[in-house]
Amino acid sequence: MLRGLLKGSVGPTANDSRFLLDVQRRDLPGEDTMQRYSDQDEVDLCIVGAGAGGSVLAQRLARTGWRIVILEAGPFWHPDEDWVSDEEGSHRLYWNQKRIIGGADPIELGKNNSGRGVGGSMVHYAGYCPRFHPSDFQTLSRDGVGADWPISYWDLKAHYQEVERELPVAGQIWPWGDPHGYPFSPHPIGAAAAKLWEGAERLGIEMRVGPVGIVNGAFGNRPHCIYRGYCLQGCKVNAKASPYVTHLPDALAHGVEIRANSMAARIEVDPASGRATGVTYLREGSPGERHQRAALVAVAGYSIETPRLLLNSSSAAFPHGLCNNEDQVGRYVMVQGATQSAGRYPTEMRMYKAPPPEVSSEQYYETDASRGFARGFSIQTVSPLPGGWAEHVLAGGHWGRALREYMRDYNHWATIGVLNELLPQAENRVTLADEPDEYGLPIARFDFSLCENDKKNMAYSTKLLKEILVESGAQDVLTIQRFAHLIGGCRMGTSANNSVVSADQQAWAVPNLLISDGSVCPTQGSANPALTIMALASRLASRLINREVDYSRAAGAGH
Amino acid sequence: MIGRYPDQDVMADAANWDEPTRRVVQARLDLPKTLRFFTKEEEPTLRAFCDVVVFQDAEPRVPVVAMVDQKLHESRLDGFQYADMPDDRDTWRLVLRGCDEVAQSQYGISDFAAGSWDTQEALVGQLAQGLLGGGVWERVNVKRAWAVCARMILAAFYSHPWAWNEIGFGGPAYPRGYMRLGPLGVREPHETAAATAPDPVHDPRSGA
Repeated sequence: MLRGLLKGSVGPTANDSRFLLDVQRRDLPGEDTMQRYSDQDEVDLCIVGAGAGGSVLAQRLARTGWRIVILEAGPFWHPDEDWVSDEEGSHRLYWNQKRIIGGADPIELGKNNSGRGVGGSMVHYAGYCPRFHPSDFQTLSRDGVGADWPISYWDLKAHYQEVERELPVAGQIWPWGDPHGYPFSPHPIGAAAAKLWEGAERLGIEMRVGPVGIVNGAFGNRPHCIYRGYCLQGCKVNAKASPYVTHLPDALAHGVEIRANSMAARIEVDPASGRATGVTYLREGSPGERHQRAALVAVAGYSIETPRLLLNSSSAAFPHGLCNNEDQVGRYVMVQGATQSAGRYPTEMRMYKAPPPEVSSEQYYETDASRGFARGFSIQTVSPLPGGWAEHVLAGGHWGRALREYMRDYNHWATIGVLNELLPQAENRVTLADEPDEYGLPIARFDFSLCENDKKNMAYSTKLLKEILVESGAQDVLTIQRFAHLIGGCRMGTSANNSVVSADQQAWAVPNLLISDGSVCPTQGSANPALTIMALASRLASRLINREVDYSRAAGAGH
Repeated sequence: MIGRYPDQDVMADAANWDEPTRRVVQARLDLPKTLRFFTKEEEPTLRAFCDVVVFQDAEPRVPVVAMVDQKLHESRLDGFQYADMPDDRDTWRLVLRGCDEVAQSQYGISDFAAGSWDTQEALVGQLAQGLLGGGVWERVNVKRAWAVCARMILAAFYSHPWAWNEIGFGGPAYPRGYMRLGPLGVREPHETAAATAPDPVHDPRSGA
């Protein structure tokens, strides 16, 4: 009740990031005075990866006095200088180191779904922040596909709410899944999204504004969004949420060290005790291997790099990679079908104005037997900038003169996309390729193939997108079939033979090794994963703080 | 590039951009002329190929060739490589060589650049549809090789302010942002539509 009255001014209680940020400068406050630990110092926790999962975990634990080092492969950003309002100029934000992609339906990585640098992929995500539905945690028992999680939606709900206050998330009251409201009211929308919404409405499809992690009102020193449309190029305004602005300022203020340009090479395990002793890493500008000692290690490198690091950490006890004696590491990696269709209208749309994420629907999220496949998809408006739009036109088979003509018409097009829930499959997995990277570490190979249910889901939603465009008055339609997001690869489960980690994200094989990123998710729903990754890290942190995770035991004991 | 937006000049607004963005965009107007990744022998085919892919048949050209060369020279690649493909840098060289091979074998000309515009377009059309075979084309997935090159060319072309002027794109928008997002509905979600919409001009009580 009180929250209703105080709308727009209710913030999180245990995170001061929004006040620590500078109103005029975009640098992460506290970099100069940051705590520094020596390699020999056994810290309480060493986290690999300064993205959504690693940053939230660090921020929560640092507040209760944990001594923490985060190793981040990419740079420590200085957004005023490093980030630009430009597509090509934003290349550095992505994980551009080579990975091999294979399978029947190879997944493009890099800018599509992989970030590098302090803040992780959320620095260049669009900003959509939906929760998973309660059904996502039980798809096997409810729908006979995918997997059941060892935890439920209700275990995460309080953390969803807390993270929504921290980002903060703006949007209309949400009628799908577990119905809920958002701490900030919906943003105004642009012409293109309004046009697409009209078409959906005529087909009886309910849509809502948001949910996006973009400030819409007073929130500490975070400015209001200026609707410049470059969410995917890193928000120079500080209006869009990423760990860089939402959790790392508070983490630094509580003694966390972020060691940037530090690529983790392997996790060391003591052969006698079977416990992790720390992380060996390579730091730019510092010759040779270094080793950070730690009482507890948390890997937060996401669905490609987390399995890769475990696979690269082989030893006599783990000849096929750390935690991989049951052949579970790297399996069940998922992406979402992310077909986008654009419609041409007689009036100007100028879709580049306003943030790309605007209006979305989860009306088709749950299984409906009449559609002929299990699970479903969400619908979201998007708005490619010229470079992205050129890829869209090229995918339509156009080049040369025809492409130039389509491109000249840019301002008359509006784009809408889907996110299909593609099912987890054991053979969609990350392995090691023969090729080494610049550090001499074997690079990752990611194989992916669609199953029949995936194909039916994608075909159904592609047809629906076209109907929405036609109903909204589009004169011409161009469709690009693509994939988005990553999840899974080190999933949580009930035992070592069906998963890599427990419900507490604790490795079955090494008690003081945690995984704190999207790779632990057994299913993905058709929601964008960022909010869930943060909520999981928030839950893990609270379980650690409440001493509900026993990581002090010797390997092989306990479970 | 006289077209639909003849009076638009994105650069005229550059004073309103943040300095790093201005620097990045301005650099595209001042690119080095000599190529560093591609060889002198590859250059004619490369130039002709890029011209056809983005239909640039006259000066002033957007310097796509210089931009692609710079990107490859600096190894600014995309972070993935198909299992049935070589490294993108090798793919580029193979595609150029393959275009020359096909120009000789199918069209009877010395190399791709020696062909007429129509010949070059026909050859690129075959490449885009994955119809080329033999010679170097046996070493790559043809459709994917086309995608590697075409995407890099398009990314370069549509990052240039002249191309933004051509398509009416407003360009960088920081710290300025946007004021007019477009036509919006007038009702809030909790407000409802009127049940009827009588036009007072035709209201019988007004005597009209």
